[in-house]
Amino acid sequence: MDKLMKSSDIRNITGLQPDEIKKKGQEPFEYWGPTPFEARKAAVAKEKGLHDKRTTLKEAVDKYIKDGINLGIGGFVNTRVPVAAIHEIIRKGVKDLTLSFQSQSLCAELLAGAMIIDPDHVSIKRVELAWWGYEVIGIAPLFRYLLSEEMIQLDDYTNYGMSVRFKAAAMGIPFIPTRDHGGSDMELVNRGRMIECPFTKEDVYLVPACHPDVGLVHVPVADMYGNSRIFGAHCTCPEIAVAAAHTIVTTEQIIPTDNIRKYPNLTEIPYPAVDALIEQPFGGYPGACYGYYWFDMPEFQEFRGISDEFRKTGNKDKLKEYYDKYIFGCETFDDFLATRSYDKLKELRQMDGVQPILID
Amino acid sequence: MAEYGPFEMIAYTGSRVLEDETIVFVGTGLPIIASMHAQLTHAPNLNMIFEAGSLGAVLEQGLPLSVGDTRAFRKAVYAKGLCGAFELTQRGYADYAFIGGAQIDKFGNINSHFEGGNYLKPGVRFPGSGGAGAMAANCEKTIAIMALEKRRFVERLDFVTSIGFGDGEPDYRRKAGVMGSGPYRVITNQALFGFDEETRRMTLLEVLPGKTAEDIQELVSFELLISPDLTDMKEPSEDDLKLLREECDPEGYFLKRKVAK
Repeated sequence: MDKLMKSSDIRNITGLQPDEIKKKGQEPFEYWGPTPFEARKAAVAKEKGLHDKRTTLKEAVDKYIKDGINLGIGGFVNTRVPVAAIHEIIRKGVKDLTLSFQSQSLCAELLAGAMIIDPDHVSIKRVELAWWGYEVIGIAPLFRYLLSEEMIQLDDYTNYGMSVRFKAAAMGIPFIPTRDHGGSDMELVNRGRMIECPFTKEDVYLVPACHPDVGLVHVPVADMYGNSRIFGAHCTCPEIAVAAAHTIVTTEQIIPTDNIRKYPNLTEIPYPAVDALIEQPFGGYPGACYGYYWFDMPEFQEFRGISDEFRKTGNKDKLKEYYDKYIFGCETFDDFLATRSYDKLKELRQMDGVQPILID
Repeated sequence: MAEYGPFEMIAYTGSRVLEDETIVFVGTGLPIIASMHAQLTHAPNLNMIFEAGSLGAVLEQGLPLSVGDTRAFRKAVYAKGLCGAFELTQRGYADYAFIGGAQIDKFGNINSHFEGGNYLKPGVRFPGSGGAGAMAANCEKTIAIMALEKRRFVERLDFVTSIGFGDGEPDYRRKAGVMGSGPYRVITNQALFGFDEETRRMTLLEVLPGKTAEDIQELVSFELLISPDLTDMKEPSEDDLKLLREECDPEGYFLKRKVAK
């Protein structure tokens, strides 16, 4: 295999230093979560009948969220992000997490903030990602803080790279060739590999499959068995759900299985991939959920503002206050939603503009 | 001539660069505004890919504030996820990548990872590649929007996130295993750049009326090539500004931002 490894020799064009890239090719590769073999065993071990998967977030998190796991986070930046599940995970507490996602904002920041407040309660060890920020709202202050303090290790890919890593895992293959990363410094710092294609004899970049131990996905609708439909952006949710050894799905609404059977083509996540299902209206709030609600920009700005103030001053008081009030001070995500005004939630529904979805 | 702001000039220039009958893979903000303006003027059959997975959306609910915004899926003709968007691109169906970044070098390589310090302990860390690295690799042509400042147009990047022409060698991109032909235009509010076919180096094509090539060189850390056909940038008309302000970004999310000092 080593004979096939190539580099596109980019190292002479940036300031990247040898010690920053030494891990490449020196440390033996290991998956930062289940190996393809372990993930396969987890799938095989599941009961394959149609069973009612409905439960509470507390029960699901107690059962599946363990120290040291790889947590795959669905959605994309501010869209259909599994905020309700993240709140419950922070309430429970979990250490030495590996996070895997393509692009995230609040979900990743909430976990980072929990770690900053009390690393004995929540901690992140490393992150496989493409992007961590708030888009138009600004950079992610807590991500920047964790990196400047060298508190987390990263493995950097493109959005396609991370998406296709989940896809490879969902396909049951250990890696997948891509046409990106090569020639950029990500080629030198991430854990992919350039090889010569055995067929074209040209260089092609391989990225390893990514199987989370637990995938978190928020969907618009599902039946009680977990068969899920997704409207608007699929993001990488179908891939993450199937790639993960176990998947927790929160849904805006549960629909009858007869509806699912009527249009089976609309099922994006099939039931065997779903281990726990929670009906949680506004489960992606303050993110957006197509057909249900638009994102709540002031809410993002508020948490980001508190986070940025901490980054600049080092004072954790306001951050801690936020968690005490809205996460630790709430029993459930519904309790958190109850702190928001009905008018606000109604307005977000209107701002979605009643995107058409098919729940029949 | 109508009064316009720096971001309006960038959006208008972006629109001019886009041709009809093409597909543009847009990043958040000005690329979307530029593409909307192009659709409303000279490129009615230009279509957008949003990386969360839509093709050909009709942006009738207003400007999407994010490339994953639900508005970016309104009346799309195709809606999947990131794999769908990027695989169409990898296959060759995206003509333009429209991206931004923190630093660019003379071969159009772009950094959106960090500035100062090093990869393991960055001085200032940015969000990371996101879609940009994949777009620059596999859209056919890359258009970049940058602020024209010496600290951004640099001799040596801290990190390459999005591949341009690499070290400028003719086979660099091919050896890197990427499919697109590479950097095409770099848009700033005072200058439009292209790339020399022979040397793949950044070349000044157009300057803001009243500016000279020397003025632009002053704001760039590496030596620019100057096109023998150097012209003035075309300025937006009253009608163009009306479209930009009333149709494309009526809330002024991106067009009315202040220029960082």
